[in-house]
Amino acid sequence: MAPRARRGGAYWARSGRSRLVLYGLVALVSLWLVGPFVWLFVTSISYQKNLMARPLAFIPPEVTWDNYRMVMGLMRFHAEGQASKILPSMWNTCVVAGVVTALNLVVGTTAGYAYARFRFPLKTFSLFALLFTRMLPTIVLIPAFFLMLRTLGLQNTLTGLVITYCSFTLPFTVWIMKAYFETIPADLDKSALVDGCNRFQAYYKIVLPVSGPGLVAGGAFTFMLCWNEFVVAQVLNTKPGTTTLPPVIAGMNGQVNVDYSVIAASGFLGALPAVLLVLIFQKYMVQGLTAGSVKG
Amino acid sequence: MLRAGAGVLRLSEAAFAWLLIVPAVLGIVLVVIFPLAYSLWLSFTDVNLLRMGGPAIEAFGVRLPLYRWVGFRNYLQVFEDPIYWSSLWRTLYFVGAFVIEATLVGMGMALVLNERFHGRPLMRSLLLVPWSLSRIVVGLLWIGILDFEFGALNGLLHQAGLIDGYIAFFKDGWSALNVLVSVYMWNQAPFATLLFLAGMQSISEDLYTAAEVDGAGYWQRFFYITLPALRPIMFLVLVLCTVNGFLMLDLIFILTMGGPGYDTTTVSWLGFQTSFRFFKLGPGTAILYTLTALCLFLTVIYHRLILARFEPEG
Repeated sequence: MAPRARRGGAYWARSGRSRLVLYGLVALVSLWLVGPFVWLFVTSISYQKNLMARPLAFIPPEVTWDNYRMVMGLMRFHAEGQASKILPSMWNTCVVAGVVTALNLVVGTTAGYAYARFRFPLKTFSLFALLFTRMLPTIVLIPAFFLMLRTLGLQNTLTGLVITYCSFTLPFTVWIMKAYFETIPADLDKSALVDGCNRFQAYYKIVLPVSGPGLVAGGAFTFMLCWNEFVVAQVLNTKPGTTTLPPVIAGMNGQVNVDYSVIAASGFLGALPAVLLVLIFQKYMVQGLTAGSVKG
Repeated sequence: MLRAGAGVLRLSEAAFAWLLIVPAVLGIVLVVIFPLAYSLWLSFTDVNLLRMGGPAIEAFGVRLPLYRWVGFRNYLQVFEDPIYWSSLWRTLYFVGAFVIEATLVGMGMALVLNERFHGRPLMRSLLLVPWSLSRIVVGLLWIGILDFEFGALNGLLHQAGLIDGYIAFFKDGWSALNVLVSVYMWNQAPFATLLFLAGMQSISEDLYTAAEVDGAGYWQRFFYITLPALRPIMFLVLVLCTVNGFLMLDLIFILTMGGPGYDTTTVSWLGFQTSFRFFKLGPGTAILYTLTALCLFLTVIYHRLILARFEPEG
């Protein structure tokens, strides 16, 4: 055994046979984690008739990109009315998720910094309130938003969605950024103050530039939440062309005459951005999320 | 705390802190606290979406209707409805089964991923795949696996000679409910794994070495070292899973629509349907508020746990 103090494990697999079992388990876990997603891709490049065939072929006998052509509007088919909404709704999702992420990063980061560094009146109470709003069922706010947005004339607009999405992302961003700033030593800001910065300069000139990983984690997480959100968009934006991708995919699934392979193509297309985002920023997101939840 | 105020901007620490959090607090008051209060109010009124007159909040030229106060009528109506109670019991089963499955599978995956093997970084990336998908897509891809006509699992079982005909997983209510539990677990267990792994990484290896010298086997080390050290994280996982279980909605939408009959109708689905399918916003918000009360209770527990972690041990 290495004499160096290592952390983290009751290692079990050391001998040859147990290592074999370990690799078996690893294979099982990876199959469990990505198998269903890979199968979604396989169905999306198959013809429905081959999916219906028995015995089922796990390697598709024919490969086709027609399903993707259909959902991208490059190929006519009987349900093209529903499919033609996919690309516009993807753009809507991009806009909403992008704006919400930007807002959250500006507003949530400064608040997170204050919570991590300073003592101030009502801190404990407002932290509890923050935690509660984070655990709140968003669905309970939707009736209120429904009437509020109707009053403001913001029903069926992307602005309405942006406002509503902030209700579940903002508390989370503040929380995750607070946890991140707590990992940056306070001495850094102190020495900045000694060097003649004012408090605000210490924050945005000294601390913020070294907070890249935290910002990436918070931003990627917010974007992912918005990209995947379904219930709010489904209820608030019912007019065609104003909603985001998840309700459109769910709507396709609800139609009896659309082949599963076509829906699978739209689902895979819709899932890809979020999956890529998470895979690219995986390291930072894991750090940010575990810091936010474990350290409180 | 930062007291060396040699800067130009000579604000007290508290004033500066408030300056920084004011935008967020303002935002949260506008998009969370106010709607929350308004929803609570709505649950005590006879909301009628077509009626525009009556009492209202008027400010800045907009008019937010307040409707007529009816006291506890909506709540009484909800509590007298046997469907609410059967949904509540079903929700409790759903949450219980989900929490147990997600914790066990999450822990199992954490134990495998905590071992040393080639490709461990890749595995940790793959871990996030189920969790990063929209629940609509999660439902969709499980339809591809479980469907009666073209499901891959049915195909697999059929080819292996284990079944004669394909199984209709969603036809029977009990089976549909348990499928929902497992699909949601597939989506959420990776997050539990993430937290468990982070916890396992912070346990000193000396403990394990010492235990091994004393002749402790793998499971003994797990039960006497790993599990006790993970206790705080375990509680967090349990609370978070419980909240998520109570609020799950989108999977029901894509997979079962609450059916067959009411067999997969949970409280959140009932509230959603009452509010936005039948547009009975009064009783609907009342149902949703019973969920909110539950979440408040769970938050209090969660908050206690975090405070306990902040304080020094012993």
